[in-house]
Amino acid sequence: MAESSPPEPQPGPARRSVLRWLAGGAGAAAAGAVGVPLAAYLGGAVGGHPVNWVPIGRVADLPVGETRLHVFTDPVREPWDGACAKAGAYVRYLGPGDDGQPRFWVFAMNCTHLGCPVSWFPQSGLFMCPCHGGVYYENGEHASGPPPRGLYHMPWRVVDGVLEVQAPHLPTLQDTLEKPSGLVQLGRSRIGRPTGA
Amino acid sequence: MTRRPSLPTLALLLLAGGCTPPGKPTPAGPSRPDEVTDFRTLYATNCAGCHGADGNLGPGPPPNDGLFLRIVADAELLKVITDGRPGTPMPAFDHGKGGPLTTRQVKIIAEGLKPTWGKPDPSGDPPGYALAPGGDAGRGMAVFARACAGCHGDRGQGGGSVDGRPVGAVNGPAFLALSSDQVLRRYIITGRPDLGMPDYAGTAGRPADFEPLDARDVADLTALLASWRTAPAGK
Amino acid sequence: MRRIVRAVGGWFDSRLKVRESVMPMLEHPIPAGAAGPKGWWYVFGSASITLLLVQIATGIGLALVYVPSTDQAYASLEYLNYRQPLGWFLRSVHYWSGSGMVVMVAVHMTQVFLHGAYKYPRELTWLFGVFLLLLTLGMAFTGQVLRWDADAYWGVGVGAAMAGRVPVIGPAIVELLIGGQTIGAATLSRFFALHVFVLPGLLLALVGGHLWLVLSKGISEPPEPGQPVDPKTYDAKYHELLKTGKPFLGDAMSKDALFSSLVVIAVVVIAALAGPKGPHGLPDPVLTGANPRPDWPFLWLFGLLSLCPPGLETFVMLVFPGLLVVGLLLVPFISNHGERAPSRRPVAVMAVTVAATTLAVLSYAGATAPWSPVMEAWSKDPVPVEMVRRSGPLELQGAAVFQNKDCRNCHALDGVGGRRGPDLTDVGTRLTHNQLIDQVSNGTPGGGNMPAYGKKVNPAEMEALAAFLGSLRPPGQPPARVAAP
Repeated sequence: MAESSPPEPQPGPARRSVLRWLAGGAGAAAAGAVGVPLAAYLGGAVGGHPVNWVPIGRVADLPVGETRLHVFTDPVREPWDGACAKAGAYVRYLGPGDDGQPRFWVFAMNCTHLGCPVSWFPQSGLFMCPCHGGVYYENGEHASGPPPRGLYHMPWRVVDGVLEVQAPHLPTLQDTLEKPSGLVQLGRSRIGRPTGA
Repeated sequence: MTRRPSLPTLALLLLAGGCTPPGKPTPAGPSRPDEVTDFRTLYATNCAGCHGADGNLGPGPPPNDGLFLRIVADAELLKVITDGRPGTPMPAFDHGKGGPLTTRQVKIIAEGLKPTWGKPDPSGDPPGYALAPGGDAGRGMAVFARACAGCHGDRGQGGGSVDGRPVGAVNGPAFLALSSDQVLRRYIITGRPDLGMPDYAGTAGRPADFEPLDARDVADLTALLASWRTAPAGK
Repeated sequence: MRRIVRAVGGWFDSRLKVRESVMPMLEHPIPAGAAGPKGWWYVFGSASITLLLVQIATGIGLALVYVPSTDQAYASLEYLNYRQPLGWFLRSVHYWSGSGMVVMVAVHMTQVFLHGAYKYPRELTWLFGVFLLLLTLGMAFTGQVLRWDADAYWGVGVGAAMAGRVPVIGPAIVELLIGGQTIGAATLSRFFALHVFVLPGLLLALVGGHLWLVLSKGISEPPEPGQPVDPKTYDAKYHELLKTGKPFLGDAMSKDALFSSLVVIAVVVIAALAGPKGPHGLPDPVLTGANPRPDWPFLWLFGLLSLCPPGLETFVMLVFPGLLVVGLLLVPFISNHGERAPSRRPVAVMAVTVAATTLAVLSYAGATAPWSPVMEAWSKDPVPVEMVRRSGPLELQGAAVFQNKDCRNCHALDGVGGRRGPDLTDVGTRLTHNQLIDQVSNGTPGGGNMPAYGKKVNPAEMEALAAFLGSLRPPGQPPARVAAP
């Protein structure tokens, strides 16, 4: 390695530095030309999702005072999503309120602790989570176990006698469904507020 | 030139050549709980908790009872499993009623009970299963003294014993509030053979001249117990 | 014949220069101690690499059949299990060899730590090793996700829920991780790319660097008590030591080869006996009753997340793992000189003991998960026959209420049922009738472990339930009573 090679004719210092600058600049431009679109491609998953309303069923057909799991297909999906395109909501029709408007409890299936799917037990009126044993009352409030809060309420509205819910994203503690973060553009629609018992 | 095959070669040959190592998975049953269609599995996961592992010796009325299965109508079984019995610990099992099973699975359970536990023994002439209106609670008191008081006490307060175990009260408001008229009638007819309670014709703990209860006796007894639900006996 | 081979070989070697470049590496001298019986301590690293090669070979095989799309992945796993000849075996070897790799990396690291082999001048080798451990665990997690079943689906969900707790940017991380706003096709594709391209690439690059460092800094001599490392003199001492060294291509390499081969044979035998893992349960987000569990390398975390106090939870999820990694990275900088022998380093031995015990206990807790309600217990677990036999009509109704109200999901009778709450087999000796009613109505005071059932249990049900629970006593044991004041 260290053998001396015959001295080559050295270019002048100015030319050498220009060449270096050129190589560096061209390299940066080339890396940017590939890297920036790549980063944008990867980051394309983040933010800017449209709001989609999904029909659940006619209000008149929903049993009053009973919680049921309603399954629907997420409108935002890939053709090869398979079963993953399905989403569920626990819906309880509370009957009409004092103003005559129907009231609902609509909850996402995800436990607020770590997102596992809660099961509904109608006899005891509890939601139970299989992962770490989080338990919620029928009104979604935290009953026991590690969850830091109650179940995620899903926005709902009634259009022409049909209950519609907002197709959910994966709810997490800072990106709940009831208060969509800046990542989601909120539609101009009447959002159902969580209703007390 | 022959060489003995090395151990790994042998293992490979065995693997490829049809020998089945214990780790080779066999296609499992249905992977979705709503696709299970085997009566035994459905019973074990949905019913055994209250009705016992083999259909008796559970806190709920035993389905493994030849007499019960003889008198109960198929439609009744299907209806009770579908809708449950409101007010009692029997919940609805059909999806449409908020239960855990599909309509098909409910049907499989309802239709599987008689082939599994029914007895081809049509001896005797038991009263019918369906509730009969017009029972006379006053007359029921006399039937009670004849058929029940030996173990359950003259006012249903309990106190007797069967096989050395004390017999409990049947006149308590909580017990009666949780028991439908239908299940009371059923117990009067079928007894609880698994727990030593005689059926409508059984003689255990009863007077020597005991005659099997007839349809009217059963209706009157049912009416008597139902009357205790709101006006407890002896008070 | 031999002459032709030699000629052909020579033709290649005059161009490839293997004899000049690679052979000296293989024949590099190692300390005589490391070539002796103590050399058996040095076999775990090469076993890890051997298993990595097995993973690459079986992984390529699986990739020929596996379909990384959410609508086909499960079916392609079943195809591998049941239809593709030896597909199950390849899946099995891939799973068990991957498990073995986690074990070997952990054992290798423990050995290096206990022998103080990370000290001067091998600090950087250790740092590479830490990242190799992380990458191995990353492969284990992403591999678990590719087994696209209920465990995988909800495992991603749990990972996302943890990432979602990162202050401010949590939601963005979640969407970056799962490739959109829900777990779906994009999620699986991402994990496939990670598991098959990104992480293996990094892994191989770091393995290369790790090995280069092993060659350039030499294999550490077996530690001797009373021979501390002094960075000022170590290089010269080591140079001196190598004068009596043995070439690696000899006993040392034979030990490595023998041990690695035994490990591979063990993996293959286990794979044939135990079979592949899963897939268990469909990856269907609306299928309730899923009971997701992480693979064993993450059971300790699963356990920790259930057992740690809620107030500490976000810290445990986000900061604690980072602290662990920083701690590992700092090891060679906290003590890069001094004694190497475990007998002179009680703190190091203690640290390993505590860490291993903690991991074992948490993993056991995670595997048994006593905190999880047993979702089907209310309808599946029969009331023990002896309890039924000694019950009266009211107690029988109470037992039915007990099952009906899902009490069994958290409370065992005779050891069968949930274990989140206490086993109630003898509860009648502990609580009076009124105490039982109070406990059921109000649950644990202050929002504790047990929900309040007051609104969901009517007076008759409560009366029957308390009668049943009060009757749960061993024969001859009197009921509980309130102690006289």
